[in-house]
Amino acid sequence: MTTSVSPARGSATERKLEGIFAELKHIQRIYGFLPASQMKQVAERRGIDVKNVYTVASFYPHFYLQKPAKVCVNVCTDMSCHLRGSDKLFEGIRQRFRSAADVDFTLRPASCLGRCDHAPAMSIGDDYYDDLTVAAAGDVIDQALLGRPVKASHNGVHPPALQTDPYDGQRPYKVLQDLLAAPKWSEAIGVLRDSALRGMGGAGFPTGMKWEAVRDADSDEKFIVCNADESEPGTIKDRYIMTHLPHLVIEGMIIAGLITGAKKGILYIRHEYEDQEHILQKEIDRCYEKKILGPNILVSGLSFDLSIFVSPGGYICGEETALLEAIEGKRSEPRNKPPFPVMHGLWNKPTVINNVETFAFATAILAKGAAWYKSQGKNGAFGLKFVGVSGDVVNPGVFEVPMGTTYTELINQYAGGAPAGKKIIGYAPSGPSSGYLPASMLDLSLDWNVMAKAGSMVGSGAIVVCAEGTCMLDMALNAVKFYRNESCGKCVPCRVGSQKMVDMLTGWTMGNFKASDMPLLDELSHTLRQTSICGLGQILPAPIQSVIKHFRPEIDAHILNRQCPAGVCFEGKRA
Amino acid sequence: MSDMVHLTIDGMKVEVPLGTTIFDAARMHDIPIPTLCHQQNEGPVAVCRLCVVDVGARVYAASCIRQCDQNMQVKTNTTELQAARSNLIELLVSDHPSPCVRQQHSGDCELETFAQLYGVSESRFAKRAAPRGQDESSLSILVDHSACILCDRCIRACGEVRHNNVIARQGKGYAAAIAFDMDAPMGSSSCVSCGECMVSCPTGALTNKKVVGQHLQEDEGLSLDVKELLQLPVFKGVSGTFLELNRGAIVKRNYKKGDLIFREGDYGSTAFYILEGTVDIYLASPQGHVDTEGTGNGFFSKLRNKLKGRADHQREEENLIRKFISIDANIDLEYDNPVAKLGPGELFGEMTCMSFYPRSATVRAETDCVMLEMLRNVLDVMQKNKTFRAQLELNYRQRALETHLRSVPIFSTLTSNFIEHLREEVELIRYAPGDVIFEQGDTADAFYLVRIGFVKVTEHYPGGDLVLAYLSKGSYFGEIGLLGGGVRTATCSALDHTEVVKISAHDFQEMMATFPDIAEKLKAVSDDRIRENKNRFKQVSTVPVDQFLQQGLMEAQSLLVLDLEKCTRCDQCVKGCADSHDGVTRLIRDGLRFDHYLVATSCRQCRDPLCMVGCPVGAIRRKNSLEVIIEDWCIGCGVCANNCPYGNINLQEFALKESGELFAQAGEAQKQLKKARVIRKATSCNLCHDHPEPSCVYSCPHDAAHRVTPTDFFADMVGQKHLKATD
Repeated sequence: MTTSVSPARGSATERKLEGIFAELKHIQRIYGFLPASQMKQVAERRGIDVKNVYTVASFYPHFYLQKPAKVCVNVCTDMSCHLRGSDKLFEGIRQRFRSAADVDFTLRPASCLGRCDHAPAMSIGDDYYDDLTVAAAGDVIDQALLGRPVKASHNGVHPPALQTDPYDGQRPYKVLQDLLAAPKWSEAIGVLRDSALRGMGGAGFPTGMKWEAVRDADSDEKFIVCNADESEPGTIKDRYIMTHLPHLVIEGMIIAGLITGAKKGILYIRHEYEDQEHILQKEIDRCYEKKILGPNILVSGLSFDLSIFVSPGGYICGEETALLEAIEGKRSEPRNKPPFPVMHGLWNKPTVINNVETFAFATAILAKGAAWYKSQGKNGAFGLKFVGVSGDVVNPGVFEVPMGTTYTELINQYAGGAPAGKKIIGYAPSGPSSGYLPASMLDLSLDWNVMAKAGSMVGSGAIVVCAEGTCMLDMALNAVKFYRNESCGKCVPCRVGSQKMVDMLTGWTMGNFKASDMPLLDELSHTLRQTSICGLGQILPAPIQSVIKHFRPEIDAHILNRQCPAGVCFEGKRA
Repeated sequence: MSDMVHLTIDGMKVEVPLGTTIFDAARMHDIPIPTLCHQQNEGPVAVCRLCVVDVGARVYAASCIRQCDQNMQVKTNTTELQAARSNLIELLVSDHPSPCVRQQHSGDCELETFAQLYGVSESRFAKRAAPRGQDESSLSILVDHSACILCDRCIRACGEVRHNNVIARQGKGYAAAIAFDMDAPMGSSSCVSCGECMVSCPTGALTNKKVVGQHLQEDEGLSLDVKELLQLPVFKGVSGTFLELNRGAIVKRNYKKGDLIFREGDYGSTAFYILEGTVDIYLASPQGHVDTEGTGNGFFSKLRNKLKGRADHQREEENLIRKFISIDANIDLEYDNPVAKLGPGELFGEMTCMSFYPRSATVRAETDCVMLEMLRNVLDVMQKNKTFRAQLELNYRQRALETHLRSVPIFSTLTSNFIEHLREEVELIRYAPGDVIFEQGDTADAFYLVRIGFVKVTEHYPGGDLVLAYLSKGSYFGEIGLLGGGVRTATCSALDHTEVVKISAHDFQEMMATFPDIAEKLKAVSDDRIRENKNRFKQVSTVPVDQFLQQGLMEAQSLLVLDLEKCTRCDQCVKGCADSHDGVTRLIRDGLRFDHYLVATSCRQCRDPLCMVGCPVGAIRRKNSLEVIIEDWCIGCGVCANNCPYGNINLQEFALKESGELFAQAGEAQKQLKKARVIRKATSCNLCHDHPEPSCVYSCPHDAAHRVTPTDFFADMVGQKHLKATD
């Protein structure tokens, strides 16, 4: 543990920003955007400077600073949607509505909307439409222009039977009840430690250790934060868990609160997950009714409050410290670590911050025991994992699988394999962050160690499959663009480096390759990995470096012969 | 836990107090670590990443923020670290306008210095596609976003160091930039021009803006020590370095009792701040307007231009008698006795300094005086200084607000009690040139008085905006919206550096309720204006307005129309005009042609009456009937004549005895001309109203010249044939 003393955070003045996004959203609902006069009033009401309002309002793309067009269409252009033809969708919509004036209609590319299993997707305002064709999108936009917005009608599948759920629909919150009947907090942490449960957000930090550190921390105030901001392209498993196992997530958070002594929990959810927000809110309301939440939980004398915080938007908010900054009403810029959130988290107080899946598994493990969890898994790995499979597969979706399952199995048996007549050429085991692996490495398995050894990672289990016809350089460029678009801009390497990398790789896809590019790319990659403040910049080189490593002939074809084997680049390529 | 931490930096064992950053620990032991974003007087943010060091972890640590741990092994200078730093600089250089303004001026841009050191002055990365632009709105600081590296030093300087809290980041990612308030131009933001941001900036993104080509003669005045300046309350909170850079723009001057500081009508570019002593500020020109009168039989020779004051010669348009003359100082002069005193802590000459208007009054030292004379960049610093603002506002509230209000005839009956109340309530607001005060269609929420500068009033018309008025100091606006439907009927914007007094709708309504007579009068004025606006709208909507409006003809009171089929171009009309006005013509036989008519240049009540811009004493104005009137206290500076694009305003010269009296006879003046001082008064065509016919018309031997009303003329034109403009 570091001996670092944290910078002064969480002072009374800083809390003046608390809840500012709810206020700004309210204004935007009334006016359609954030008029300057209203922002001034927000500053006056809160006793802060106007720059503090503007600096956050201008940071989050969800806020409009000028009156937007009547219909604003955002088409997702990231990995899974890109593989499923979002470029064509975008261009098709653009052509069809080119005559619509700016006041009526704007079309913009958007970052991953979290509908990777139903790509391509788009949003109009707070409505999301997926499995789109140009014709279907056109109809939706037509209706919106007429002032009759169509509600997206994507009904989920029937609730599946999931091994993770210890209750099977019967008597939920039993773990909590048992713990309250015979409080054995240290033993509970012991169970989690024995289970070797790791954080499921991607970093894989042991959960038991994290909870114990917060439990041992001496503080008048502590927090439990659930990170439900999954925004990485291909990552859709938390949406699935929140849809089908909301009670496990909530119970996990309450238990974490009781174990660590935190009285307040915040579930941070991305704003594109409105349906899940409603499901969770209903569950939270039910818990308050049944006295599972609130003061004096189940007459135990212990209390815990839980609320949902809807993200003002952006992938960077998923970075744990950036997420805390957002809750505090600031620009979602990652903090320099150490200090870590376990000691200096939300409002500078000790904070447990875990992924949705981690809280769900924690509940399951406390119900079924560490031995049960360790007995799950195969091929030398243990535990369960929710993975999303999307891209070029027949049945994209989310699956609950034993750790150790190979990627071949995941893609072919769970997700139905590549579309008929097509061969898989590569895949990303966990969205852009894991980099791309070639088809020859499909036999790797869902195992932290195996994947680390292969130079990749299990990550959040966002498997994106690329079949024949995909240009891997184009996929790398797509991933780098995602990071460029989502960079918060705080530190130099990521803010400037991401753009320079996009410039360079765009050049490669258009026939502009310079001999100095390769060494320069390596230098830039080293700089990004080593000097960026947070994971976004550190991982930024992974997509292109993995493609250079595993798909070198394709790269050479582009840079030496100005040829794209997949026929994607060069001609007609938009800069 | 021990209070000391032991660690190794580049092989050297060091011991530092707990909580010391690696950067500081290294510095204490003379191990230099490069940085761009870190400054000793600001909290660390670790955004430039140049100061990264290897602590044996997965990634490098930013030494400026990372605290030393027990037994830490730190390397500050490995090949890999150097490569990363070099690469970071190369990234920044690719978007940097080398050499930036700072590098050009003083050769000390920190980024460019590092670039040379690391040999990466030429970046291999692609340049930024779209330039990020400059913000030149501040008078003292130039903002060049292209040179900004987002080190956040200015943000912390403005917030942590000076507690002004104006600057923050805006936007996200590669598009992120620094912004003032809500991305306002720096000049119209709440920036107080303390200069701390500029002093903190490592590059040419924030640099000191010198007033080009201007440097106060230091030999005449006493060059000032920055320390001395900083001790003055009006420079409290200003960065010393910033003042140092502006030394040439401020001098201290000593005046002896009776010294003339400047004369009304002089040109200048400075403002004065009184440190010690008092001055007299007054109008030296005799008051009166130029009147042409006939003396009996005959025509030309008997006409005489005379200066006539209000007492001798009441003009019909002077039904609104103004008791005060507004000048370029925080005080108004009484019409009957235009002299005032200013003492220590007072500022005068702001408008001359900011917008280069002629001096509005004569200033003479009443006692021995010490004054600061400054150029606009320093004045800007002072005006934005919180201490000075407070003092200025206090002075204004205590001394000027009352006369200012009372100088508006309608408000002359306000009770002292109510003015006392307003003193506490009003707000003084500054606007930069072009800033919109309110927009036509906005909700009316306040009433305004002009304190400094000019406010342009425009109204939307089919085919473009029409300037209704330029309001100068002493004018008011905003009452129509408050009295009428609660909506602004026109757009008001700042024409130059403008300051207005804002009286809230609440206080305004209270005033209306308390003083029904004022309400009634205001209502009448407002109704008049609304009616005129409606008429004008009807008028301009029914004819091909574009050309009429553009040429400013439609609203003329009277046009001189020459029938070109009859005119022999003998110029008798011009001569006639000159003869009747002491040899100075007010007419030029040139202008716009419609069919076979020439509309000669004479005042035409332009769509955009530029003549009203810049009068330092507010002596030229439009009556509600739109006719131009020049007030008695015209100081003859000639700004209006220069501004009139049609040459329709002329200056009449009068010789003045040393005593200040006018010579009764022109001839007498000529005899003594060497001793006499010439004063001037502006005039525009008065239609020779003392005569049965204007002299130009009278003098035409061919019956080609006619004075007609525009409506008649154009109705005739439009009715009979289609208007043929100037083809």
